[in-house]
Amino acid sequence: MSTQVHANLTAEQVAQISEELGEPEWLLETRQDALAALEDLDMPDVIKTPGREWTNLDALDYETLVDPLDHAQEKDRVDAEGVDVLSWSEALDTHGDLIEEHFGSVVDPQRNYLTALSTALFSAGTVVYVPEGVDAEDVKIRTTMNSRSLFNYTLVVAEESSSVTILERQATGDDAKPVDEGRYYSGVVEAVAGENAHVQYGALQNLSEETYNFSVKRGHAGRYGTVNWIEGNIGSRLTKTSVETRLVGDSSESQIVGAFFGHNDQHFDLGSRVWHEAENTTADLVTRGVLRDSARSVYEGVQDVGRDAWNTSSYQRENTLMLSDESEADASPKLIINNHDTEASHSATVGQVDEEDLFYMTSRGIDPEVAKNLLVEGFFVPVLEEVAVDELREDLQDLIAARLRE
Amino acid sequence: MSSDQDHLKETDTEARFEFKKEEKSAFETGKGLTEETIRVISEDKDEPEWMLERRLRALKQFQQMPMPDGWPGAPDLSEVDIDQIVPYIRPDIETRGGADSWEDLPEEIQDTFDKLGIPEAEKNALSGVGAQYESEIVYQNMQEQWEEKGVIFCDMDKAVQEHEEIVKEHFMTKCVPPSDNKFAALHGAVWSGGSFVYVPEDTTVEMPVQAYFRMNSEGMGQFEHTLIIAEENSEVHYIEGCSAPKYSAFNLHSGGVEVFVGEGAHVQYSTVQNWSKNTYNLNTKRAIAEADGTMEWVSGSMGSKATMLYPATILKGPGATDNHITIAFAGEGQNIDTGAKVYHNAPDTKSTIESKSISKDGGRTNYRGLVHIADGAENSSTSVECDALMFDNDSTSDTMPYMEIQEQKVDVAHEATVGKIGDEDVFYLQSRGLDDDDAKQMIVAGFIEPITEELPIEYAVELNRLIELEMEGSLG
Repeated sequence: MSTQVHANLTAEQVAQISEELGEPEWLLETRQDALAALEDLDMPDVIKTPGREWTNLDALDYETLVDPLDHAQEKDRVDAEGVDVLSWSEALDTHGDLIEEHFGSVVDPQRNYLTALSTALFSAGTVVYVPEGVDAEDVKIRTTMNSRSLFNYTLVVAEESSSVTILERQATGDDAKPVDEGRYYSGVVEAVAGENAHVQYGALQNLSEETYNFSVKRGHAGRYGTVNWIEGNIGSRLTKTSVETRLVGDSSESQIVGAFFGHNDQHFDLGSRVWHEAENTTADLVTRGVLRDSARSVYEGVQDVGRDAWNTSSYQRENTLMLSDESEADASPKLIINNHDTEASHSATVGQVDEEDLFYMTSRGIDPEVAKNLLVEGFFVPVLEEVAVDELREDLQDLIAARLRE
Repeated sequence: MSSDQDHLKETDTEARFEFKKEEKSAFETGKGLTEETIRVISEDKDEPEWMLERRLRALKQFQQMPMPDGWPGAPDLSEVDIDQIVPYIRPDIETRGGADSWEDLPEEIQDTFDKLGIPEAEKNALSGVGAQYESEIVYQNMQEQWEEKGVIFCDMDKAVQEHEEIVKEHFMTKCVPPSDNKFAALHGAVWSGGSFVYVPEDTTVEMPVQAYFRMNSEGMGQFEHTLIIAEENSEVHYIEGCSAPKYSAFNLHSGGVEVFVGEGAHVQYSTVQNWSKNTYNLNTKRAIAEADGTMEWVSGSMGSKATMLYPATILKGPGATDNHITIAFAGEGQNIDTGAKVYHNAPDTKSTIESKSISKDGGRTNYRGLVHIADGAENSSTSVECDALMFDNDSTSDTMPYMEIQEQKVDVAHEATVGKIGDEDVFYLQSRGLDDDDAKQMIVAGFIEPITEELPIEYAVELNRLIELEMEGSLG
């Protein structure tokens, strides 16, 4: 695969990144192992039906997109009382053991080619540590990308009976050097929620539309623990994202809420996955998206109920609204059930703005364009209602409204 | 290749007599699959040259194509070794193309069909019954009134001889080309028997046309081909039943079904399959519906060790409709991988898929479906509903739907649920004096009712009876 980047990526470059962050030996080794594994790793799985691959990740010219040593960003981190919100260098100094314990325990660094690349090259990122019993509402991370490529790695560790709400925003800086052939942004988020801990992680991706975006967010929920994800995708040229929770402790829960709005020739490949691995676990997956122009969405939702997951409740809903003939919406909501003591359901719909609703509104004097916009905004309401973080909900609403009025 | 051909020249006629013969069959090929086997089958059937050529081309495709494995949750086909299969057995009947009357059939075959209840159904004045035993249709009958209207119902081999032009145009050309998948290619190479149904314009066949297939020999493959052509504004309901007893070696059933639904025509294809639990059931079934045509698939998949079956409809003309109703039941050691495929390729097309599955005693049921709405298929609508019922924790039930939507003016809905058999329901029925088994049976009967009510009564009864037997665990 000549398009891949490892051909001109060297161990020296990786060592240099590691040195800049003041990393311990074990982390450098993890990076070097990931680098060495690139040779044998495949691209992330994409949905395939006979004769068709729904997202072609091999077509990207990673060699051109990725410059290992050129990374420029602005980072804002707002912490909350009792919570450590740290850059990698700081975190490695103060919480080295904690990081060694958890790094790569949730997202396997060698899961596929792109996660290995992220592990080898990440230079940006944040560690959020929530000690036992601490409740924190307002942790904010804002990443502004100013370089051709940026690799971001976030580790969240919430100890027993703690809770935290984290809000992450990704955007491209106004000062970012113009590029012709695109940018590459990669984000890996690992979240560990201990017993009775609650982690809520909201992310709003609004990268410039020349950006290829790859992201994996994955959480482990311990006994009585909760990992909730909110994922808004507005920007990028192509996004391949997977938001996942493993319910490893009894009575753990997860909610994955997604919203996207594609226009022009944007391509969103979105995955929501939950594994029920213990008893009395609950999951709720809700995604809504709108497509315009020749935008395309590919959605795969998986509810996997393991053999030992007694008394599971698992629900999934996915709805897509299409506003143009050139758009395409593909969906595959899957159920994998190995325990019979399960209540599971999923549903998916694809449709257009309801003609009758539109007629009703225009007949009452509302301008057709305004009426359509109102209906689209209304379509997102059931998902926005699920967004428990006010600020994220308002931001998302604003971005949707802005796109509608373009 | 060339050495094969040389070999053929030398052995052509002798080879036919060297094939293993068994007492009960007049003729069968040896195990395995070579160009020579294909030539022998074709010659035995006295086929025209073009059919032999199609078979040979399909054989080449089969040899080049990969096995359909590697799908998540799909059945393990590693045991399917084509070299262990006897692809063709002609039962010992003097008259080619079947006996003239029921009484002319060998006692043993009569007996088998008696047990399956076929003569009763026939006596009840059904319009037609074709019965296939091993690879050949042995008995076929249709009321004369339909013949007078130009309706043709005969076995596929006979159709090749007597309706050559129609067959040549439609046989594995536009609907199921052998290149579709490895087992469609295999089918194209070795197909034998099956049904040919032709309904002329503006003709309604009021009674269902029926065929029954039974596989009786150990280690054989059955490859019947069904070709249904319903011309403009015609209507026909074809029903097929399949079964096989249990043997220790595996059997392979790889049928092909092609349905042409003309403008405004209406075809219903119903099947209740109960293959023995050593059978691999790998079928390709597809319909093409012209403008305002309606295709309906009703299927019950009961038996088999592994089934891979996804009846497909291409809605080619505006206003065409497709309805799928399927039920799958997987017990111990079974993997039933089934679903539906619909291609909406024209405006105003509609489809509904209703799929129900039951798994028990470690059985595995999968729903694997695809709904494709092409760009330009305006005002199309589709609704998919899957329900799975699981009896115990050894069983597995997965739902893998795919939806590809390239047109905005559509209405697409998918819904699926999985649940265990309701403890409360069982308790309620028990408290009214039913024992546990009866209560569960009743719940299952209620669960599958939407399917059974689409079938003619004798098939609904058969399906219910089969499920009862499965529930009692008394089917071998």
